[in-house]
Amino acid sequence: MSYYPARINEHFLNPRNVGECDDADAIGEAGSFTCGAVVRLSLKIDAALQRITDARFKAAGCGYLIASASVLTETIKDLAISRAATLHENAIADWFGELPADKTHCAALCHEALHAALANYHNAAREEWTGDEALICTCFCVSEKTIERVIETGSLRTIEQVTRACNAGGGCRSCHPLIEDILEDYWRTTALTSEEINRL
Amino acid sequence: MRDIIYLDNNATTRVAPEVRDAMLPYLDELYGNPSSAHTFGREMRRSVERAREQVAELLNAADVNEIVFTSCGSESDNWAIRGVLEQQPDKRHIITTRVEHEAVRNWCERLEKSGYEVTWLDVDEEGLLNLEDLRAALRPDTALVSVMLANNETGVLFPIEEIGRTVRENSEAVFHVDGVQAVGKIPIDLRHTHVDLFALSGHKFHAPKGVGALYIRGGVNLAPFIIGGGQERGRRSGTEAVPYIVALGAACELAKNFDGHAEVRRLRDKLEDTILDTFTKARLNGTPERARRLPNTANISFELIEGESILAHLNEAGICVSTGSACNAESHVSSAVLRAMNVPYTVAQGSIRFSLGRYNTESEIDRTLDMLPAIIKRLSEMSPFEIKQT
Repeated sequence: MSYYPARINEHFLNPRNVGECDDADAIGEAGSFTCGAVVRLSLKIDAALQRITDARFKAAGCGYLIASASVLTETIKDLAISRAATLHENAIADWFGELPADKTHCAALCHEALHAALANYHNAAREEWTGDEALICTCFCVSEKTIERVIETGSLRTIEQVTRACNAGGGCRSCHPLIEDILEDYWRTTALTSEEINRL
Repeated sequence: MRDIIYLDNNATTRVAPEVRDAMLPYLDELYGNPSSAHTFGREMRRSVERAREQVAELLNAADVNEIVFTSCGSESDNWAIRGVLEQQPDKRHIITTRVEHEAVRNWCERLEKSGYEVTWLDVDEEGLLNLEDLRAALRPDTALVSVMLANNETGVLFPIEEIGRTVRENSEAVFHVDGVQAVGKIPIDLRHTHVDLFALSGHKFHAPKGVGALYIRGGVNLAPFIIGGGQERGRRSGTEAVPYIVALGAACELAKNFDGHAEVRRLRDKLEDTILDTFTKARLNGTPERARRLPNTANISFELIEGESILAHLNEAGICVSTGSACNAESHVSSAVLRAMNVPYTVAQGSIRFSLGRYNTESEIDRTLDMLPAIIKRLSEMSPFEIKQT
């Protein structure tokens, strides 16, 4: 009989994507002083396609951490970075069916490492940012102009749609109120304009 | 028998076939109550008293009536502490150590919350006590000194003869020893020590779970723990668990006649030496002085590797061990024992306890030593830390 539930045990004994990417484009780490677990994620990212092409991990911790990191790397490979950034926090737990309450933090640590890796990638991009326009999403380096443009072209109504369209808001989410404002402003002025049209 | 390599004998042990055979008739036709007046009942009484003699012999107690049967080691420990305090309500001070089993430690923490003053004796990095600390802590109002004989995690032995002498010479305190982990593994001689109370548990030395005993030195005044029909001379009521008591007696006799201690020690030494020689990041927890440790226990840390992962890999190979690492979000990071010994966090986390017993064979130790390198190598290579374990 195995120590862990079957799906955990399978990934614990045969973890996928162990190691580090050569010339990684992004590295993210997360650790817990409470349980002592540490996980490091390294990513290869295709800058033109904004897509994760390879993901590898190293981990020191229990089987739940190792299995979670293994599943995460499998999940984010070939994923657009906006998709990876908006991966649901229960994505790993859901893959396993369920995680025991005292082991959900293992999956959370892996998510944290992913967010750290993406932040690491965007920090590098932000350092190269020379634009004059206001930067709204600092994680993905998206300007106000770009957000307004995608809202207009796609008739977008929600933050999620904006994120899908241009990555904005897909990282730390601290710009969500700003995107909300932009959406409101856009639709208020648009509504006004249609009323004016009607009145004419 | 299952096809496993059982190296977790400090957790529990297999019931010896001799012990099982001794108790089986009492689960069958010998079902009488020792308190009954008829011959059938009195036969049971004789069996219980025979077991009492067997326990007294193993402990080298001066009088068989110093042995009282209980349900487990924790009951014995709890009773010893409560029983002493109840008899001396004016004394509000207790001395114990930071590395006691939970049956003592958690009780003392409770008592501390309810107004008792507890002196927690520290241990050094090898897990040893400084007897000067004990001497300095003893006071006229010290009701109880409670110290274990052998540590369940590290196997470190406390010098209970010397401690007993110190307690006797410097105080009126009652001296309780948690001997649960020591009985059956090293010789015990209570007659020639100043131990007043001594707890033991049957399942740690090949009796079934569910039976223990408390040694109460003649003249020591202990309040009863269970009040009822007055069994065990009024000290511990409840109908005697005859099959289990008989089993405990048989296990004591088996332990007394066991001549394989040297072999258990040799296998433990081989396991311990080979691991420490093979892995540069392996560290022994507990004193390297083997005379001051149980002959069956090796607690070894693999630095920067999670003990639970090592345990899970060994488990996959059918090898049963324990870890001092509690790997979950809410719980403390490592065992209280290792923390008390100031074992660094990154070391305590990778601790594995191997505890051997009379049924282990050389080929089992060899198989374990064969399995370990690949497991440690794998986990090291997976670690984000640069670890050179070999």
